[in-house]
Amino acid sequence: MIAADRAKDTSGLGNSPLLQGIAVHKDYGGVHAVRGVDFRIAQNSYVTLLGPSGCGKTSLLRMIGGFEALSSGVLELDGQSLDGVPASRRPVNTVFQNYALFPHLSVEENVGFGLAYRSLSKAEMASNVESALALVQMSPMAKRRPRQLSGGQQQRVALARAIVNEPRLLLLDETLSALDRRMRKDMQIELKDLQRRLGMTFLHVTHDQEEAFALSDEIIVMNNGRIEQQASPAEIYRRPATAYVADFIGGANLAPGRILSVAGETAVIDTPLGRFECPSVAGLQEGDKAVLCIRSELLRLQAGEGGFEAVVTHTVFRGAEWLVEAKTQGGIVISLIVDEPEPPLVGSAVRLGFDPARGWIVSAPTEG
Amino acid sequence: MARSRTGFWLSVPVYAAVVALCVAPLLILLAYSFFQVSFVAVLKEPTLKNYVRILGSETYRWLILKTFGSGLMVAAITAVIGYPVAWFIAKRVVAAKSAFLTLLLVPLYTGDLVRIFAWRMLLGAEGVINTFLMAIGVIREPIGALLFSSLATHIVLTYNYLPFMVLGLWLAFEALDDRLVEAAADLGAGATSTFRRVTLPLTLPGLVAGSLMVFVMVVGDYLTPQLLGGASGVTIISAINDLFGTAFDWPLGSAIAWTMLAILALAFAGAAIVISRSSLGKALAAGEA
Repeated sequence: MIAADRAKDTSGLGNSPLLQGIAVHKDYGGVHAVRGVDFRIAQNSYVTLLGPSGCGKTSLLRMIGGFEALSSGVLELDGQSLDGVPASRRPVNTVFQNYALFPHLSVEENVGFGLAYRSLSKAEMASNVESALALVQMSPMAKRRPRQLSGGQQQRVALARAIVNEPRLLLLDETLSALDRRMRKDMQIELKDLQRRLGMTFLHVTHDQEEAFALSDEIIVMNNGRIEQQASPAEIYRRPATAYVADFIGGANLAPGRILSVAGETAVIDTPLGRFECPSVAGLQEGDKAVLCIRSELLRLQAGEGGFEAVVTHTVFRGAEWLVEAKTQGGIVISLIVDEPEPPLVGSAVRLGFDPARGWIVSAPTEG
Repeated sequence: MARSRTGFWLSVPVYAAVVALCVAPLLILLAYSFFQVSFVAVLKEPTLKNYVRILGSETYRWLILKTFGSGLMVAAITAVIGYPVAWFIAKRVVAAKSAFLTLLLVPLYTGDLVRIFAWRMLLGAEGVINTFLMAIGVIREPIGALLFSSLATHIVLTYNYLPFMVLGLWLAFEALDDRLVEAAADLGAGATSTFRRVTLPLTLPGLVAGSLMVFVMVVGDYLTPQLLGGASGVTIISAINDLFGTAFDWPLGSAIAWTMLAILALAFAGAAIVISRSSLGKALAAGEA
C-alpha cells in the first residue's frame, strides 16, 4: 500500500522534487548526446532511465553524478543548483557499471572509503560499515579482496559502498547488466526492497525494459537525446506518449494512418487494417498523420465477420502460449498471442480483431 | 615419461646458458674474493682479508655509500619528473601516444658516449648554457662548476635514465582504471585524497619497478661520472676497474663487487618483503589466486 502511495507521489507535483532538470543539454564537440531535457524526480521513488544504447541516458546520469559538466541547462537537487559542485561534494553516490571497486582495498575498506570524509569516530565508522555489509548480506566477506568475489558479490559490495554514505540520491549505472539472468532477477527484487526499506531515492539507468518494469515507480524513456515520456510503468505501457515508446516498450503492433475525426478523448483513425475509434493522446486533429497501437495480447483470432485478414508467417512456442506473427495485405507485420493448444498453420489466412476501446492512437513520428 | 624427458633435454640449453653466463662468472668472482695477491701473483689460499680491508677502509666505505646515494637520489629525481610525464602520456595523449613514447626512447638509440659528449657541449665553459647566460648578461664569467662536477654527473644520469622510469610508470598508469578515480570522487574524495588513497597505491608497482631499474643502472654507470664528474668522478665502479686493471688486485676487486652485490640483494629482499606485506602486495597476490 505504501508503494502505491509513493507511486502517486512521484508525479513530483505539489511537493517539491528531489532532483529537477531544466533544459539539460550535453554535446561532445558537435555530437548532441542530451538535447535539452526537463524532468523531475520525487523523493523516495525508484526511477529508471530507460532507452537503447546511445540514447543519452548514461550522459545524463554522469551529469547528475558530477562527472560531466552540462553544456547548458540546470540541475537542481533539493532546490539548489548543482552547477559548479564537484562530484565529491554532491550528496549523490553511484553504483558503477563495472562496480569500480578498489582492488588494493578489502571489502570493508572499500565500503568505509567514503566515511573518511565525514566526522565519524572509528567505532561509528566500523559499525556503519558492518551494518551496510549486513544489509547486502556480505558480512562474511568483509576481509576479502574484490578479485576474490564473484560478479554478484562485487555488485553487493559496490551497493554497500554507496548506500553507507546515506546519499540523497543513489545512481545505478546499468548495474545489473553484467549478471546472469537468474542473479539479475534476484538482485532486482533486493534492490527494490532495499530502496523501500531505506526510503532512499534511486535513479537507475538500464536498457532492459523488463528490468525497468520490475523496479520502477516511474520510468523515463529516452531516445536520441530526448525524453519521450516520464510516467508510471502501467501508464507507459497502456498510454505511450509516442509511437517510439509504444514500440520500444513491449513491441506494440503499429499501424500508420490518418485521423478522420476527434471526439473528446477518442479519435477515429483510418489505417490499412480498417477504421477504428480508439482512445488517443491529447492534441490530435482531423487530418493528422497518426499511428494506431495494438498490444499483441489484445488481438484475437476471429471466427466470423469483421476485423482484418492476415497470413500467418511464424509461430513461436513460449510455454504458456503461442506467439504468432502474421502479415496483412497492406504489408503490416502483426504479432499476437494465441492461448490455445495448437497455433494456426503457417501460411494459413486468419481473421483478427480487437476491442477498439483498448487500442491507442498516438501522433506519427516526425521525420529525423 | 618420454615427453617429460624430451622436455628436459629441450630445456638443457637454457640452463646451460644461465649457468655459463650468469652463475659461473659470479662464482668465479666469489672465489677470487677470498684469494690474495702477492706482488703480481694470485695466491689461492682462502682468506677473509679482502673483506676486512673493505670494511676497515674509510675510502671504500665512502665510495660505496656515495654510489648508493647517487642511485637513490637519481631514482628519486627521475620519479618526481617521470610521474607527471607518465600520467600525461597515459591519460591525456590519445592519438600521438606512440610518437611520444618513441621520442622518449630516441636518445637511448644514440649510445652513452654520444649523449655524454652532447652534454659536454651544453655544460662546458664555452658551452651553450654558459654562452647564453653571458650573452643575456646574467653572468660575466662562465660557471666552471657546470661541467666536471657532481652536478654535471647527476644531471646527465637523470637525463639518461629518466626514460626507464617513465616507461615503468607509464605501464602502471595504463593499467589504472579511470573509473576508480571517478569512484573515489563520487565517494567524497578531493584531488589530494584521491591521489593518496587510490592513484598512488595503484601506480606503486610502476614506481617501484622504475626506481629499481634506475637505481641499478646508476649504481653500475661507469662512463658518466668518469667523463663528466672531473675530480668527483671516482666511484666504486671506477675503483673496481682500477683494481682489476692497473693495480692488478683481482681479489680485492672481486670482494668489492660481491659486497655491492650482497648489499643490493639485501635491499631488494627488504623491499620485496615490504611490498608483499602492504595492502597492494596482498591485492596482487589475491589477483593471482
